[in-house]
Amino acid sequence: MKAYPLAEYGQLAAGVREVLISSEEIDARVAELGRAISADYAGRTPLLAGVLKGVFIFMADLLRAITIPVEVDFIDIASYTPEARDRGFVQFVKDLDINAAGRHLIFVEDVVDTGLTLNYLLRNMRARNPASLEVCALFDKRTRRIADVPIRYVGFALADEFVVGYGLDFHQRYRNLPFLAKLRPEQYRPDPSAESA
Amino acid sequence: MAQTETNQPKFVHPIEETFARILDFYHIRWDYEPRTFDLEWDSAGAVTVAFTPDFYLPDEELYVELTTLRPKLMRQKNAKLRRMGELYPDIKIKIFKRQDLRDMMIKYVMDEEAARLLGTEAQEPLPADSVNANNANANSGNAQQA
Repeated sequence: MKAYPLAEYGQLAAGVREVLISSEEIDARVAELGRAISADYAGRTPLLAGVLKGVFIFMADLLRAITIPVEVDFIDIASYTPEARDRGFVQFVKDLDINAAGRHLIFVEDVVDTGLTLNYLLRNMRARNPASLEVCALFDKRTRRIADVPIRYVGFALADEFVVGYGLDFHQRYRNLPFLAKLRPEQYRPDPSAESA
Repeated sequence: MAQTETNQPKFVHPIEETFARILDFYHIRWDYEPRTFDLEWDSAGAVTVAFTPDFYLPDEELYVELTTLRPKLMRQKNAKLRRMGELYPDIKIKIFKRQDLRDMMIKYVMDEEAARLLGTEAQEPLPADSVNANNANANSGNAQQA
């Protein structure tokens, strides 16, 4: 298992205040989640569905930790941009390619905080009549929860703080950090050079 | 039914309106300041301290209070929240403090709103003439799930 010292991430490391969960800890927990899903779904072929972009790293690792036949698909929804706000509803940029009807669907999330997005998506998924529907989230900020969403598989409970790494971004950056980190406060200030808000 | 301009309540702070729009976007039903909880009374039984959470989410049976006050200015509100817990232990209430709101604004790519929460002592309320606190209850039930 490769270690990823923070110092190797020069420019990105400068913005990091501290590493909250190491890559080794994440690897170990993802392996446990994979074993749990493999045991619970033995004899079935679950369909794992993830929401882009944040989930892609977790999904890749989780998928390889699952030892039973499994299929994978992704959805992508438009961010809460001014355009989306004007539109007034959640827009699917990419829907599932695989029909979820009758499937054992596992909804995979990188992080769940307010639960607003997940609550919306679960209602959408239930309407597709899957045989079963469960949620697997690597990071759970439960104290932030507004909409009560059931999460069967949880990797780590997180405190109330903005985090990046392992797929999670701030202005599309820091996703490539292999650990979970907290940014320095000054990083949160708007980036005047950012191409999009 | 989506929220419309005509049934929009008079929000005390801009952050409340922002929060309401996020709830609408994700089809979460909400009421604005639908209930006031009495917290303290004088010897004659008149209410001297009360607390009105900003939102009630009926599907979650959850009250939500937003505050943009800096932590050092939170003493009075914290005292009310503690008293709420003592007198109404069955009421679910979630507090979103300044940093929580800032993080929420960052998550939803609302940089200007996030910056306001970073750079000011406490977010300025809307002008007094745009606030009609007495209408708060009359405005409840204004956002319905689509």
